Amino acid sequence: MSVVSAHEAPAPAITLGGVIRAVGFIGLGAIGVTVGLSEVLARAPADTIDFGPPLIAPSIHFPLGTDVLGRDMLSETLHALAVTVTNAGLAAIVVVVAGGLAGFIAARLPYRIGFVLRGIAGILGAIPALLLAILFIGLASRGLAPLAAGLAVAPLGFTRAFDRARALGQSRHAEFARATGISPGALLRRDLTYEFRDSFLSIAARALAAVTIVLSTVSFLGYGATPPHRDLGLMIAAARDVYFDAWWTAAVPAAALALFILCARLAAGLDEGERA
Amino acid sequence: MWRFGLRRAGRFALGLLGAILMAAVVAAQAAPPGKGGVSHFIGTVLSRLGEFVRFDFGSSAITAASAAQEVAQRLPATLELVAAGALVAALIGIPLGIVLSIGRASRAAAPLIQIVAAAPVFCAALALLWLSVQVLHWDAQLQGAPDLWSALASGHGAAIRDAFRLLALPALTVGAAGAAGVQLALRRAANESRDAPYRRGLRMMGLTPFEVDRLYLVPQVLAGVLANLGEIALSLFSAAAVAEWVFGWPGAAVLFLKSVALHDWSVVALVLFAFAAITLFAEFVGSLGARALAGIEANP
Repeated sequence: MSVVSAHEAPAPAITLGGVIRAVGFIGLGAIGVTVGLSEVLARAPADTIDFGPPLIAPSIHFPLGTDVLGRDMLSETLHALAVTVTNAGLAAIVVVVAGGLAGFIAARLPYRIGFVLRGIAGILGAIPALLLAILFIGLASRGLAPLAAGLAVAPLGFTRAFDRARALGQSRHAEFARATGISPGALLRRDLTYEFRDSFLSIAARALAAVTIVLSTVSFLGYGATPPHRDLGLMIAAARDVYFDAWWTAAVPAAALALFILCARLAAGLDEGERA
Repeated sequence: MWRFGLRRAGRFALGLLGAILMAAVVAAQAAPPGKGGVSHFIGTVLSRLGEFVRFDFGSSAITAASAAQEVAQRLPATLELVAAGALVAALIGIPLGIVLSIGRASRAAAPLIQIVAAAPVFCAALALLWLSVQVLHWDAQLQGAPDLWSALASGHGAAIRDAFRLLALPALTVGAAGAAGVQLALRRAANESRDAPYRRGLRMMGLTPFEVDRLYLVPQVLAGVLANLGEIALSLFSAAAVAEWVFGWPGAAVLFLKSVALHDWSVVALVLFAFAAITLFAEFVGSLGARALAGIEANP
């Protein structure tokens, strides 16, 4: 056995990290299916008041209880989850395009334009994404909350992609490509293709986790979703006055929200405690 | 080190300049709309920028008081909360990071930490509030910023208890968010240093494992935490914004939220600038500290 082959043992086909990521994607898939079928699974349309007596604890008739207006918590949580997932999906697309893709391309721009953009992203990244999202909503409108959340999270994705693209640009294959006369455009296309093939799902899942936290918090603070299209953040905010006596009014949407974020975090392969 | 320090100082100064420019763009929203479109807007931004350089941050559209005065009244409360949160973050995050650096503990605790990390800050804040009311029988209406020093100086047990109750939940909420960052930075630095080749060499020179850890591993790990100081500060401020809202803490983040709702852009701009400046400063100080301790270069 040569020295090289002794040191380069083949990676195991199935790793713990791979299993955890697969669990995350399966969870996201299950949530996606649930959201797709939410209109069928929910026993009542969104915002149906007096579906049952107010503040009934979870029981056989009302598996997740009812809220202060007698709305079925199971139905409301399904509808709110659908709103949250849809908005988070839109915002994640914004992050992938304005963060991941733009950052990667910016790193290869001529005349150090990329460094100026990286500097701007760094300054925006020094402000909590939550406050940035609220600022964008304040400047535009609450209807554009997904776009605002996406733009608020994008600077972080931009700097990560920029640094990654810079590192790739200084790698051996890039030096070799330049020496053999391959154009910068062709090299960018090649790197972009491989980067997105290898890590697109991870980048998208990470973006999904980050924007879901921002969007739900924005709604909780009263700057996001508006009734009757309540999302999970707004549901939790609405339960603040009664949740000391009726814990399920806040615990049920909070559990759904945490589960969705957990699946996105696992799918992204984030380290324990790592910022999304 | 001097060259590194100067480079970092230059980057910090550029960051501040960018933050001022961003604040000027936000503050320009306060100007009445005029004809001229983009050129009028750029003129307004430049005019605001000039005023900012002269330390004139405009006035609040709601109270007509100086924006600087409004923010100066609220910022100390936020800094108090962030400082208390940082203390909690260190108290929780450092032991947690050390425990999790041990392979088996990390594997056992990983699912639990992933679940905790998945809960947004406002959910954690509401859960703490619920526990304090249901388990500890605290008064949910007891909200606001405590005057801890006055309470301690008065020596009244009830006053001190109330002050600590007011502080405990917001500080725990902010601290829990910061602890995640602290433990992660510490764990990563410990993992990198643990397998470093110099450790074997030092042991062969006759140093005991404890001496190697004390003299070499501890500075490396501390440097790793300092290198992430900017990110930790960011998570603390982000959590402080939510904690202030949930616990009725009269800080700058709540002022920001109300000012955005009321389109009081001069105040919004100044709060944003203050937060960005503090985070950039933490990043600057952290990078210098990391370099001085162990030669680690954060965000090269």
